[in-house]
Amino acid sequence: MTVQTDSLSEYRYKSATNRLGLWLFIISDAFLFGGLLVSRFYLFGGTRPELLQPLGLVVTAILLVSSFFMNRAETAMAHGDQATFLRGTLITLVLGVLFLIGVVGVEWQIAPFTAGENAMSSMFFTMTGFHAFHVLTGVIFLFIVYRNGRKGLYTAERHFPVEAAAVYWHFVDVVWVFFYPALYLMGVVAG
Amino acid sequence: MEEKTNNRKAEAYRVGLVVLILLATMTIGEYFIGSIAVGWSAPLWGIAILKAWLIIRDYMHFPRLLAGEEESHS
Repeated sequence: MTVQTDSLSEYRYKSATNRLGLWLFIISDAFLFGGLLVSRFYLFGGTRPELLQPLGLVVTAILLVSSFFMNRAETAMAHGDQATFLRGTLITLVLGVLFLIGVVGVEWQIAPFTAGENAMSSMFFTMTGFHAFHVLTGVIFLFIVYRNGRKGLYTAERHFPVEAAAVYWHFVDVVWVFFYPALYLMGVVAG
Repeated sequence: MEEKTNNRKAEAYRVGLVVLILLATMTIGEYFIGSIAVGWSAPLWGIAILKAWLIIRDYMHFPRLLAGEEESHS
């Protein structure tokens, strides 16, 4: 049983302020990924690295489905449905790990180039590496939220950490929405 | 009251599912555009922007940010 010292209106006010801070962080982080995206087109323009396109599709699908379950988990918590919240968060977490395995464990291993080979290969590993670090951070964040959720720390009225984890997770998804076509689909394979 | 809450929850779940279906459809579409029409990047940009907009609006609940502290979750 948690001690709730703030009134609900105070909690809502604090959540609104925290939400603003969260979005400021998200926007500043978006500039980093935007810079990487611009660098990709500046350095290799109409060409792209030789990657396994079906694998790109699979990891993208995994991330999109994870966002669906995270949205479901957050909605469930907002309506006091603890069981669905925990189940959704756990599924999201597992899908996040699968995404990391797909990119770092498979794609990085089978890529026909190494990180320091040329500008294109460096860009590929930088983009996917930065994104993978964000996914890893999201997985850790989700694990903390899941653990706290199991302890009953969140209620329908007081669950800003769940919202923050969800927004962060969806942001990571938005980044991949642009990285996936930029790396796997746009341009011709460099010779 | 409880019925109203359940209806809102069901509606939120439904929106989440519709967004997933739209995202899946667009992802498959961009995969085929990327693998068949090589070098045709304009539609891929369009699809990516549309997908991002859907996620930001319906999953990240961007309007909630603008609504201020009185906004309740739905």
